[in-house]
Amino acid sequence: MTAGDFEHRNEARWAEYERLIGLMERGKAGAEAEQLPRLFRELSLDLSLAESRMYGASVTERLNELVIRGYELIYRTRRGTWENAVSFVAVKFPQAVRREWRLFWLCNGVFWLPFFAMMLSAEHDIRWIQAVLGADGMAGMEQMYGGREEQLSHLRSEYGSNFMMFCFYIYNNVAIDFRIFAGGMAAGVGTLFFLLFNGLHIGAAAGYANHACNPESFWSFVAGHSSFELLGMVVSGMAGMRLGLAILRPGRLPRVRALTEAGRQALPLIYGAALMTTLAAVVEGFWSAQGIPSDWKYLAGIFGWVVHITYFLLAGRRSGHAA
Amino acid sequence: MAEPEKLDTLQAVELAEGIEIRLRMAGPMLRAGAYAIDFLIRGLVLAVGGTAVAFAGIAIGGNVAGGMMLLAWFLMDWLYPVFFEAGKRGATPGKRAMGLRVVQATGSPITLGQAVVRNFLRFIDGMPFFTYCFGLTSCLATRRFQRLGDLAAGTVVIYDRIPKPPMVSPPPPIVAVPPPVGLTVNETRALALFRERAGLWSDGRRAEIADQAAALSGATGAEGVNRLMAMAHWLQQKRGGL
Repeated sequence: MTAGDFEHRNEARWAEYERLIGLMERGKAGAEAEQLPRLFRELSLDLSLAESRMYGASVTERLNELVIRGYELIYRTRRGTWENAVSFVAVKFPQAVRREWRLFWLCNGVFWLPFFAMMLSAEHDIRWIQAVLGADGMAGMEQMYGGREEQLSHLRSEYGSNFMMFCFYIYNNVAIDFRIFAGGMAAGVGTLFFLLFNGLHIGAAAGYANHACNPESFWSFVAGHSSFELLGMVVSGMAGMRLGLAILRPGRLPRVRALTEAGRQALPLIYGAALMTTLAAVVEGFWSAQGIPSDWKYLAGIFGWVVHITYFLLAGRRSGHAA
Repeated sequence: MAEPEKLDTLQAVELAEGIEIRLRMAGPMLRAGAYAIDFLIRGLVLAVGGTAVAFAGIAIGGNVAGGMMLLAWFLMDWLYPVFFEAGKRGATPGKRAMGLRVVQATGSPITLGQAVVRNFLRFIDGMPFFTYCFGLTSCLATRRFQRLGDLAAGTVVIYDRIPKPPMVSPPPPIVAVPPPVGLTVNETRALALFRERAGLWSDGRRAEIADQAAALSGATGAEGVNRLMAMAHWLQQKRGGL
């Protein structure tokens, strides 16, 4: 049989297949979609025949393309459902955080040690804080938290400013999470740098507010969203370190395989971090700067931390170890 | 002898169906073009949207308008490529314009998670200072032109439709001669391809290429070409008779 005979004999079948995948690619196929697996197998066989008999490039290229198109239709993954989203929040995310408990403590350490070091330096040697914040940073802190009473709620009295700040926190803070994650690709150095930098800077700001500004106006503002935002940052650090460790210590896998594997494991962490930071932006935009008595705000802040600790400790325990 | 280095960008992937499909990997130049188109589209959307929101700002308030711009900026920066690549076509508008798509290294469509990983890591690939030096280095250092994000996600960028090579009918065979020694599959394929593509080349180029196989044909120059052609003809004829 020559290439021409082969093409001629199978032409009708190939045309039928091509018409069907054309329809399916546009999402228009009905019951005839059932034919796809059979036609696909037949076409696969044709391709391997054409390859081994060397019928030439024009036939094999055409079949190769048709097979690829069918393959993509058959192996298309199903998109997420609401059920997946619920099970992610209730089970998969806290399980993923617990599975990486070593990274959890590592990233917490890298963030909180410099944080508390800066807080302490406010009592002993303020020059550390001055060096971190700089003149502009200190002026900004004083402008926001310097007065006797709360100033932020006055700044937010203009129409739409809450929404604007919410959007700003999404734009800024969620992007920081993503960068912390991406920094893991530089063998973890980027992740550690961002965590350390944020620890130093946030610690310095808190220390300075305590020392030179009105502490109540600062703490009552940050209390509400602190748990979401800071833990979200730590969790995105865990995702980044998962990547970084795959490069540094791939174990028995080749480095690229280890990296791909780590990318998969880091996913629930980065999704969760983005979710937590988005929630933080909601709280920070619409609650933290409202004119609510400070005691209520502190209470909300404590409540947030308790919820997070219980959530990460207990949620999804009963559901076994889902992969 | 070690397997010789491949010259083309085709990668064979074996499917569960027991066949091999060949994916043609896309190089950095085309992908840079796709990126430039996407960059323009994103800029255009932000500019047009920004103007519209600025006018709407008169009605909805400047703060709300400003917030919407920040949100749009965030979405365009981080989620634009994720949205399109995780979608049905597996390609951003820029990639589609350049005829590219993103698939798993196994050839199947990518998942949402893979789109997230490969695009969030763009931040590192773009370093230093958005010059994409890291990504380019990684592309050139890997067999499948993968940037760092591709490596972590296990994805590759391929030609969506393999462009048809120009077909010129090869010179008609004169005689069929069996090759003097048994040939491996790859050697047979090389002979068949030589015959197929011979129509594209000048006589001098044909002879130049045929000289590489002088050990097989036992001759150089035009005579070598003729002998190789005859062997290719014999092989394909013979195969066809099976």
